[in-house]
Amino acid sequence: MFSLSRRQLLQSTSCGFGMLALAGILESLGLRNTSAQAASESANPLLPRQPHFAAKAKRVIFMFMQGAPSHVDTFDYKPQLEKDDGKAAGAGGKGNRKLLKSPFTFHKSGNSGIEISELFPNLAKHADDLCLLNSLHCDLPNHPQASVQMHTGSFQFVRPSMGAWVLYGLGPENQELPGFITLNPVGRVGGAQNYGSSFLPAAFQGTRIGGEGEPLARASVPNIASRGVSKLDQRTQLDLLQELNRGRLGQDKVNRELEGIIESYELAFKMQTAVPKLMDLSDESPTTLEAYGIGAGSTAPMGRKGGGGGTDNFGRQCLLARRFAEAGVRFIELSHPGWDQHQQLRARLTANCGAIDQPIAALINDLKQRGMLKDTLLIWGGEFGRTPHAQNEDGRDHNATGFSMWMAGGGVKGGMRYGATDEHGIKAEENKMHVHDLHATILHLLGLDHTRLTYNYSGRDFRLTEVHGNVAKEIQA
Amino acid sequence: MRLCIVSSPLLFLFAGVAVSADTNAAGNDFFEKKVRPVLVANCYQCHSASAKELHGKLRLDTKDGIRKGGESGPALVPGKPDESLIIQAIRHLDGVEMPPKKKLPDYAIADLVKWVEMGAPDPRVGNSSTVGGKINKVDARKHWSFQPVKVIPPTNKDTVWSRSEIDRYIVDGLNGKNLRPVADADRRTLIRRTYFDLIGLPPTPEEVEAFVTDQTPQAFEKVVDHLLSLPQFGERWGRHWLDVARYGESTGKERNVPYPNAWRYRDYVYDAFNADKPYDQFIREQIAGDLLPAKNDTEKNEHLTATGFLAIGVKGLNERNREQYLMDVADEQIDVSTRAVMGLSVACARCHDHKFDPIPTTDYYALAGIFRSTEVLAGVKPGNNKTGYSGDFVSLIDPTKKPTADLDDRRELTKLQGELKEAENALAKTKDVIAGAKKGEDKKGKAKGAALKEVRAANARETALVAELKQKIEALEKKVVPQGASVMGVKDADRLMNCRVNIRGEVKDLGPEVTRGYVSVLTVPQSPDINLKQSGRLQLAVWLTNKSNPLTARVMANRIWYHLFGSGIVSTVDNFGALSEPPSHPELLDYLAHRFSEQSWSVKKLLREIVLSRTYQLSSQHNENAYGVDPDNKYLWRMSRRRLEAEAIRDSMLAVSGKLDLQRPVGSITQQLNGEVGRQAKTDGLKKEVTFRSAYLPLVRGMVPEFLGIFDVADPELVVGQRDVTTVATQALYMMNSPFVHEQSVEMAKRVVAAGSTDEARIDQAFRLAFSRPADAKEQAVSSAFLAEYEKSLDASSPSPSRRQEAWTMLCRSLLASGEFRYTY
Repeated sequence: MFSLSRRQLLQSTSCGFGMLALAGILESLGLRNTSAQAASESANPLLPRQPHFAAKAKRVIFMFMQGAPSHVDTFDYKPQLEKDDGKAAGAGGKGNRKLLKSPFTFHKSGNSGIEISELFPNLAKHADDLCLLNSLHCDLPNHPQASVQMHTGSFQFVRPSMGAWVLYGLGPENQELPGFITLNPVGRVGGAQNYGSSFLPAAFQGTRIGGEGEPLARASVPNIASRGVSKLDQRTQLDLLQELNRGRLGQDKVNRELEGIIESYELAFKMQTAVPKLMDLSDESPTTLEAYGIGAGSTAPMGRKGGGGGTDNFGRQCLLARRFAEAGVRFIELSHPGWDQHQQLRARLTANCGAIDQPIAALINDLKQRGMLKDTLLIWGGEFGRTPHAQNEDGRDHNATGFSMWMAGGGVKGGMRYGATDEHGIKAEENKMHVHDLHATILHLLGLDHTRLTYNYSGRDFRLTEVHGNVAKEIQA
Repeated sequence: MRLCIVSSPLLFLFAGVAVSADTNAAGNDFFEKKVRPVLVANCYQCHSASAKELHGKLRLDTKDGIRKGGESGPALVPGKPDESLIIQAIRHLDGVEMPPKKKLPDYAIADLVKWVEMGAPDPRVGNSSTVGGKINKVDARKHWSFQPVKVIPPTNKDTVWSRSEIDRYIVDGLNGKNLRPVADADRRTLIRRTYFDLIGLPPTPEEVEAFVTDQTPQAFEKVVDHLLSLPQFGERWGRHWLDVARYGESTGKERNVPYPNAWRYRDYVYDAFNADKPYDQFIREQIAGDLLPAKNDTEKNEHLTATGFLAIGVKGLNERNREQYLMDVADEQIDVSTRAVMGLSVACARCHDHKFDPIPTTDYYALAGIFRSTEVLAGVKPGNNKTGYSGDFVSLIDPTKKPTADLDDRRELTKLQGELKEAENALAKTKDVIAGAKKGEDKKGKAKGAALKEVRAANARETALVAELKQKIEALEKKVVPQGASVMGVKDADRLMNCRVNIRGEVKDLGPEVTRGYVSVLTVPQSPDINLKQSGRLQLAVWLTNKSNPLTARVMANRIWYHLFGSGIVSTVDNFGALSEPPSHPELLDYLAHRFSEQSWSVKKLLREIVLSRTYQLSSQHNENAYGVDPDNKYLWRMSRRRLEAEAIRDSMLAVSGKLDLQRPVGSITQQLNGEVGRQAKTDGLKKEVTFRSAYLPLVRGMVPEFLGIFDVADPELVVGQRDVTTVATQALYMMNSPFVHEQSVEMAKRVVAAGSTDEARIDQAFRLAFSRPADAKEQAVSSAFLAEYEKSLDASSPSPSRRQEAWTMLCRSLLASGEFRYTY
C-alpha cells in the first residue's frame, strides 16, 4: 500500500514539535465561545476533533456547478418527458411553454443499471459508485440567493459556509495546510460569502486559490512565497525573530499567545514548502495528467458565458483536489461556472459536460486506487435545476422545485437513485430533499449531528441547518 | 436579593446548589438548551396539557408537574438522578421504558441526568406548556440589567493603594478572592499602552523619553490629556463604534453593490468622538438625526449624515418580493439599533417570542413599524437593474452657496405648499369614496355607477396634480436651500404604518397589527409616547437615551472598559440579556454607567477617569499565586496583555517606517468603483497599498483589505462588539512574505541606519522605534551577530554596503514580525 504510506507521510509531517504550544493558543480561540460551548467542547477548534459518532467520510470534495445544470439532461432520466415532447407543460409549467424532451440519450450504466446521460461517457463507467439524488429542491429560483443558500443554508442572513462548519466540527487533518480550500470560486452570486466564516472564527473560512477564470497553473495561497529572499536567509532571519520572541517569553513567564505566535512562524515556514510542493504537478506521471485531461490540446478557454472550455483547468482542480485530500485538507470545493442554459442547451451543455466528465472520472478512479474513495465524500451539483419545458426553443428556464445532485464515496451507497421528481421532472415528489436536508445528510456522513453542531453567537446557538434538516439515512452504505 | 460574597471556588459550588433553582441563570440556560427541547420533542405528546390523553397522570410541561409526578409518584428527586423515576425510565431500566418506542440518544440521557444532578433547575412558571413559555414581564424585569442603575459605594475606604473610586471597587473584588494587585507598570510600558489605547499608534522614542524624564506629578495626566485632544483619538475610538455599527461600504450579499457615500458617515463618527459629542446626542442623531432641531446648516448636515447608521447595512438587492425586502431592511435596523445601543438581540423575536429574553414578537413588530415608516435612502435599489444603483440619497445643504430664490420664488413656494395640502385632502376624499365603494358599504351618498366613475376620474386628476406640485416644490426648495453633497441616510416615509405580526417571520402570513412602540419589558419613566404622525424614530431615540433606560449607559460604559482592559465587566459585550455573563463587578459597572450619564455622556471624561485609575496603570507581570486563583484576570490583579487590532498593527508598521500619512484622505477608495463588485466593478484599486491610517481603508463587504482580514477585523456584515483574536499561520506568512511588510522594513532600516553612528546606537534605536524601549544587552548581542551572519550569507558579488543594508532590513523585519510588536503589555 504505497499510496497509503505516502499519505500518512504527508499528514504526519504536521505532528512535529510544538503541537502543545499550538494547542495552547488555539485554546484561546475556543475560549471566545461562550462558557457553555467551551465547557461542552473539550477539544479545540483548530486541532482534529472527534465527530459526534463514527462515520466513514473524513473529508469532502464539493464540485459546484454554478448556473444550475439541467437535471433532465444529465442525471434525472424522464421517459415520460420523451413521450410528452411538445405537449403543454401543465400545472407546474410556465405560461404556454412546451415540454422539451432531452436531446441526449440516457444509457443504463454499470451493474446497477442507473440511467446516465450520454454527456458523461467517462463518469458513467463509475455508475456503481454514484448515488444520484433526484429530489433536491430549494427556496428560490434565483442564482444569487440559491447559491448562497446552497453554501450557507440561508439566503436571508449572513451565515457561515458549509465548509467552515465542517472545519469547525472536525478541525483540520493536517496543520500545515489550510483546512478548507476553494479553487476558482465564482466571484458573483455571493462571492466570499460562499466560503466565508461569518460569526465563526476567521480561521475556519475557506482559503481561496485562484479567482474565477484564473488559470490554476499560476495561482497559489497568498504570501506563500518569499520574494527575493532565499530559504536559507529567511531561516536566519526567522531564527533571530524566534530568539527575540523566546526572550520575551522568558520575561512574561506564562504567555500562551506568544507561544502561539512562535509556533505560527514555524508552521508558516513549513507551509512555504508544503503548499507549493502540493500544487506542483510535475511529480505526477504523464499518464496521470493525461487521465485528468491536463495538458496541451485541452486548454481551450471557456466560452463568453463561462461554460465549456477544455478539460485542462477542471482537470487541474480535480487533480489538486486529490492531492489536497491525500494531504489531509478537510473540505475542498471546486467550481465550474456557466451552466445557465436559457438557450443553446445542446451545444453549451455538451461543452460543459465535456470539460468536466473526464476529470471527474479520473478523480474517482484515482481516489479508488489509493483506497481513499471510501472516506472521501464527493458531491456534485449546482444551486438548482432547470425546467423540463423549453425556453427559446433550445433552452431551459430556472427550476428550484426539483433538481439533481450526486454523491460518491465517503459512506454513501453507489449505484442508486434516491428520491424522484414527477413524471416530467418539474417537482421533487418522492423522498424530497431540501438544501437543509442535504446539509444535514452531509454532516451526518461526516459523523456530525446537525442538531448538535452549534455555535453560540449573540446569545443564541446557531446551526448550519437552522431549525430544519432531515438526514437521508437510506443513502448511507 | 443579593448573594453574599463567596470566598473560594469550592464554596461557590455549594452556593450554586443551595440557591433556589430560579436564581440559577446557568442552570436555566442548561434547561432551555438541553432539557426543554428533549422534553418537548419526546415527552409532551403524552405528558403535557396539549396531550390528547394524559398518560399516567404525569405532566412534564410544568415545573410543578414534573416535581409532583403522576400515578407512580414524583418524577424526579432534585440532585439524585438514580432515585428519579424519569431517569430510570429513559435509561430503559427497571421495566418502565420511556419514550416507549425508541430510547433517547445517549447524549440526551446524559443531559437529563446532569440536569437532575444540578438540582433540576426549571425556569418554567405557571401552567403554560407552550415551547417558549409565556413571557412573564414582572419576573423578567428582575433580570439584573433591566434594573435601574444604582450606585452602591465600595465597601472599603482604601486610600493607600487606591487613587480613585474605581480602584476601591477593584479592591473589593480582589479582597473577595484574597488577591493583591501586582506592581505598577514602568513608565515606558505605561506610555506605550496609553498611546495604543487612546490613539492606536505607538509613541515616538522622543515622546517616551520625555515622559520617562518628566518628574512632575501631572506627567501622566498631561500625556492623557494630550492624547485625548489629538484627531487620532477619534479615528481610534470611532473605529470601535464602527465595529458595532457594522460599518461597510457595499450592500454585501448576493449582489454586492458599493456604497460610494458611506464614508461620510464614517467621518461623522470620527468627528463625533473627537468633538466628544455627548453619547446620548450621538445616538439620537444616528437614529433620528433628520427629525432633530438644528441650530444651523452645518449642524443639520451632521444630523442627516448621522442617519447613515440606519442606511449602511447589508441589503439583499436580489430580493424580488418588495415586502420581504423592506422587512429584511427593517430587521437589520432593529438588530443594529438594539444590540449596538442596548445589548439586546430584539431581532430574535422576528419569528417567535424571544427564546431567552422577555421580548415578545409584538415588541419586534412595534419597532418594525417605526422602521417601516422610515424611508432608507442608500443610493441603491432592489430588483433587476443592471448596476444596483438608481436609488436616492439624502442631500446635504451646501452652506457655502447662497440661496438663489428671490421673494417671488418664496411666495410661489408658500402658495404651492397650500395647493398641495388642498390637493392631498381632495385626493384622500376620493380614496375614501373608492374604498367605500369597494367594501360595498351601505352608506348615504355611496357612490355608484356614473358618480363613481367621476370620483375615479377625480382621483386620477388629483394624483397627477399632487405629483406635479411635489415636483415644483422640490425644484423651488432647491433654490431656497442649496443642495450639497449626497449622503446615505433616512427620512420619514410618505406612508406611515403600523406593522402586522409576520407569523413565523413569513411576510405573507399576517397576524394582528401592532401599534408602534418600544421594548416593553423595559420601563423607562418619562418617555414620550410614539408620535404616530411621524415614524416614531425621534421618540425611540429619546427613549433609548433616557437616563433611566437601564441598558444604554451600562452597555457603553462596558464597551469602553472592554477596550481598555481587554475584557468587559460584562464579558458578553453585545448581550446584556438572559444569556449574558453576569458582571464581574456589578457595583463598578453601575458606578461607571452613572458617571457616564451624569457627566453629560462624555466619552472622554469617562475614559480619562478610568485611564487615571491605578488599576489601569498596573503592570502586566505574571504572579504565580494570583495566576493560580484567577488565570483569566477577571478581578484585575494585573493589566491583561492584549493583541493590537489589525488597524493598530498596520498603522504601527507605517509609523515606525516613517511612512504613515496622518492626513485624513478625502472620501474613500470605494468611490472609484463603478457597478457591482464581482461583475462590472474593477476592484484592483481596492488592493493598492496606501499609507494613510487603516481607519480609512475601503471596507467593501466580502472584500476587506487583506491585512485587516488576516488580523481579525470586525466582519462588516455583523454587529461586532468584541473581535476575535486568532493566531494562525496565514498571519505569519503575511509578516514573512508580503510586499507591504517588506516595504516597511526597508524604510525602517533606512531610518535606523541614519539615526546613529554606531551599530549599537542603531540597534538601540530600532528597538526604541518598535517596542518603545531600548535593547537590552542580550538583544544587542544577538542583533549584532545576526547582522554579521546575514551579511556574510548574502551573495558576495553584490556590493558590501547594500548587503549590510539588506541585513538591517531583515533585522527590522524581525522586529515588526515579533510578538512584542503586536501586543500591548
